[in-house]
Amino acid sequence: MVPVAQCDPAAETSVRLRVSGRDIRICCGTGCRANGAMDVADAFARAYDDRSTLQIHTKRTGCHGFCERGPLVMIEPDGILYTRVKAADVPEICTRTLERGEVVERLVYHHPADHRPIPLAKEIPFYARQTRIALRNIGRIDPTDIADALAHGAYAGMRTALTELTPTEVIDIIEHAGLRGRGGAGFSTAGKWRACRRAPGERKFVICNGDEGDPGAFKDRSILEGDPHAVIEGMIIGAYAVGAHEGFLYVRDEYPLAVRHLEAALAAAREAGFLGHDILGTGFALDLAIARGGGAFICGESSALMRSLEGRVGEPRAKYVHATERGLFDLPTVLNNVETWAHVGAILAAGPDAFAALGTGRSKGTKAFSLVGKVQNTGLIELPMGTTLREIIFDIGGGMRGDRPFKAVQTGGPSGGCLPASLLDLPVDYEQLTAAGSMMGSGGMIVMDDRTCMVDVARYFLRYLSEESCGKCLPCREGLRQMVGLFDRLVTGAGQTGDLERIEALAQTMQAASLCELGKSAANPVLSTLRYFREEYTAHLEARACPAGSCRALTTYHIRAQDCNGCHTCFTACPLGAIAGVKHKAHRIDADRCIGCGACFEACPRHAVGFGPKMVCAGQEA
Amino acid sequence: MKAVRPAPGHQDTNDDGSPPRMVAVVADGRTLHAPEGTFLLEVLRKAGIVIPTLCHHPAVEPAGACRLCLVEILRNGTPGELVTACLFPITDGLQVRTRSERVQAMRRNLLDLLLARCPDTPLIQQLAREYGLDQTSYPRNTEATDCILCGLCTRVCDRVGLSAISLVSHGTERKVAPPLKQPPPDCVGCLACAAICPTGTIQAEESNGTRTIWGKTFTMLSCKTCGRALITTAQAEYWSGRSRLPIAYFETCDTCKRASTAATMAALGALGNGR
Amino acid sequence: MAPCFDPAPLAEILARYAPRETSLIPVLQDVQRAYAYLPCEGLAAVSKTLGVPLAKVFSVVTFYRAFALQPQGRTVIKVCTGTACHIRGADRLLDELERRLAIAPGQTTPDFGFTLKTVNCVGACALAPVMILGERYVAQAKTNRLPALLDEGGHA
Repeated sequence: MVPVAQCDPAAETSVRLRVSGRDIRICCGTGCRANGAMDVADAFARAYDDRSTLQIHTKRTGCHGFCERGPLVMIEPDGILYTRVKAADVPEICTRTLERGEVVERLVYHHPADHRPIPLAKEIPFYARQTRIALRNIGRIDPTDIADALAHGAYAGMRTALTELTPTEVIDIIEHAGLRGRGGAGFSTAGKWRACRRAPGERKFVICNGDEGDPGAFKDRSILEGDPHAVIEGMIIGAYAVGAHEGFLYVRDEYPLAVRHLEAALAAAREAGFLGHDILGTGFALDLAIARGGGAFICGESSALMRSLEGRVGEPRAKYVHATERGLFDLPTVLNNVETWAHVGAILAAGPDAFAALGTGRSKGTKAFSLVGKVQNTGLIELPMGTTLREIIFDIGGGMRGDRPFKAVQTGGPSGGCLPASLLDLPVDYEQLTAAGSMMGSGGMIVMDDRTCMVDVARYFLRYLSEESCGKCLPCREGLRQMVGLFDRLVTGAGQTGDLERIEALAQTMQAASLCELGKSAANPVLSTLRYFREEYTAHLEARACPAGSCRALTTYHIRAQDCNGCHTCFTACPLGAIAGVKHKAHRIDADRCIGCGACFEACPRHAVGFGPKMVCAGQEA
Repeated sequence: MKAVRPAPGHQDTNDDGSPPRMVAVVADGRTLHAPEGTFLLEVLRKAGIVIPTLCHHPAVEPAGACRLCLVEILRNGTPGELVTACLFPITDGLQVRTRSERVQAMRRNLLDLLLARCPDTPLIQQLAREYGLDQTSYPRNTEATDCILCGLCTRVCDRVGLSAISLVSHGTERKVAPPLKQPPPDCVGCLACAAICPTGTIQAEESNGTRTIWGKTFTMLSCKTCGRALITTAQAEYWSGRSRLPIAYFETCDTCKRASTAATMAALGALGNGR
Repeated sequence: MAPCFDPAPLAEILARYAPRETSLIPVLQDVQRAYAYLPCEGLAAVSKTLGVPLAKVFSVVTFYRAFALQPQGRTVIKVCTGTACHIRGADRLLDELERRLAIAPGQTTPDFGFTLKTVNCVGACALAPVMILGERYVAQAKTNRLPALLDEGGHA
């Protein structure tokens, strides 16, 4: 136990704990819930239901972002963040922090380098570097309480738009802010809105694309769970701007909590008169409905999503005619991503200049990312466009997990690519990522270390897409089928001369001839890994070896007897009982029973497990 | 749901009944005129330009599945993107090349992929040969098939108004199948699917006054005059219901109806000298 | 044994929706939730009530991953195969589950205790590898935790 002031090396930011009138904000996002956050919240609620004299208020909020350290508990207004809190820690927090004004040091974040405790969230590097616009209220409000959202500025932008501005003025503001789509290709939001406004017809639609399908991305889930009002507000403003009176929020069925919070928020917004007839007495009418996705990745594609809303299979359409002219039910439709909608209200409330002042040339404002993989601080972050990959991974992300070297970062999901260490100083914006052969996509950033095989990563995405393609058009369906076949050969050491050229030619055909963006971009993970990690492909093809020691058919494991102290950890970790040995004596792997899964390698605390290439004759493992 | 403008490809009139605007398109250096919004494939074919297709049929909505009708857009004379002519609505001043080296190479690559799927299908073999391919450069699919998944059968079945069969599953698992992979309850055995199938994958069997297709067996309706069995009873009932014609109308075959009409006309002397 | 088909929940679901094509997916989702799968007997009723041909219903059912045509186990285990989980050992987890339950993904144990499934990224990447045991998200699901987890799941 240390007094708060001593915890903080920077004297000017010393913490002054207030005696009463505090908010306890417990992160109850999906991540923290999985780690027991609801038990923590219940424990706080029990502790304070009869001690109201302290004016302590427990609040179950959305994702605070620092998922790696969850469950997270924030004490406001002091700004103290407790990490990895268990229900059993609650009495101590109550007694020491809330009643006596001390910091429970063992629960605060410790700097990984010098191990100094950092009790204040705003001083933890993970938070200090962020600028939160789309995520502005997440973790601060109780998402199921509209009064709390209103107290934090929700719906102020809507009020301005509907009562002070014409629809065209609203579009001008969004244009001036430079807002672009946060879900994929980065189209100009104002451009879409203007086209839809101009399209003839009385009946128009606004749609929120919450079918966040990119593996490794969860920012939309967190926004919908933690601040559904920001999305609803954005849609009201957008609908007003384009002249739509009906809208849909298409949310993945795999996001049950997001659906629940959104339902509650819509009901509350209707009750408050923000939806329905004559909104704010302006005569403008709008209602929004939730549609749950059916679990098809392709429905993240806008035209497929609209077919799904119509009750059909999610087959994309050719986009020679835009959705702003012929979208849902063939009527003019604006479809934006969750994060895009969440930005709108903030832009209207603060004015476009503040937003446009952030970012780079044509990529304005901030972008939310889910930072995951082999990085220390996994979680949800929001940064100005143009922040470099290095800052994201090493400053905010705290560097690599387990001190392994950085190898690549995958961005943009299955349509994106893998960027190597030589590009770590790349400023992240739409143009730079595209030029580097990747994509912004929906903001997934998956950090990979030297144990990740780039051929395997490309194969992973190909297999994923071969299942998730709708199967309608020939180059995507048959191209993916053949690609998977070629990669299956590579990872088993059965590659044939000319396979890399075959892969490249096939990639070009898929890019040029596929019907929709899924097919057109399906080869991106292949092309980017070939571009930056060609030698790894050559190793699989010519030496029939996997340098990362990841492809099972090409890798063997062994225990270095001199490094092994017989702690028995690998013995327990091995799923097949292929490790022999008694405690305190060097262990051994039975090569015949080993399936090369690598569990022992991951488990060994002394790094005594090594791997090497396995000799494979061509065709043997196919 | 009423559309605000006629859908692309439907060029008879605009929404307000006015005649559509005629526009000019330049294809391979030739200037062609057609109503704005007409699908490019139709414009090209009317002008006698040969475009290969496998999933197109004038009787059904275009799908853009086979991608063979790809043509190259020219922007200010320089090659732009490839578009599928079957789905591309024309605008004034559009310039395309239908047989450029890039277009031909892309069609060849597509046929290469198709040939791996359908290595033994004569239509595909022949089309591939036209593009210089004797065999696929890819491994043959483990489950070689004649079905190219063009979806013409399911679209024609929709057009007939039955939707008895459909495309099921997704990705590389996609197939044409009746519901629950059981004999389709809505099928009337009309053979439209078998007739439109470009590769002859869909086959029906007829014997002893019955027809079997999609695992469902139908009794045939014999013509009251000549005794030949040309349609199924289920088909007659379906058409009778849709057309409000009495079932008796379908009990005589078209040939016999014509013969009977001819005989009547002859009797009335309406055919003059006749044969 | 597979449960017998009780038409009552289906009738109740169908009564809640407008009889049109746009209701198809939400109806099927509710049916899936009520029965834990889509009983074949029910699909014909859905088709008839909503006026959507049975073949179109079948198309939709087989297109979307959320739907299952086979009865599911009492506990459905979903292994997330998202990228973050993949690089943190989801395949190892899946292999081990397959071995322990002696079923492949998509299958159900003969006693209808468990159904094993793979799911696309569930967006809990920070907790990778993730598996969902019934309704419960299991973070950092390592193979050595499986015996205890399956034991709990089996009694769920």
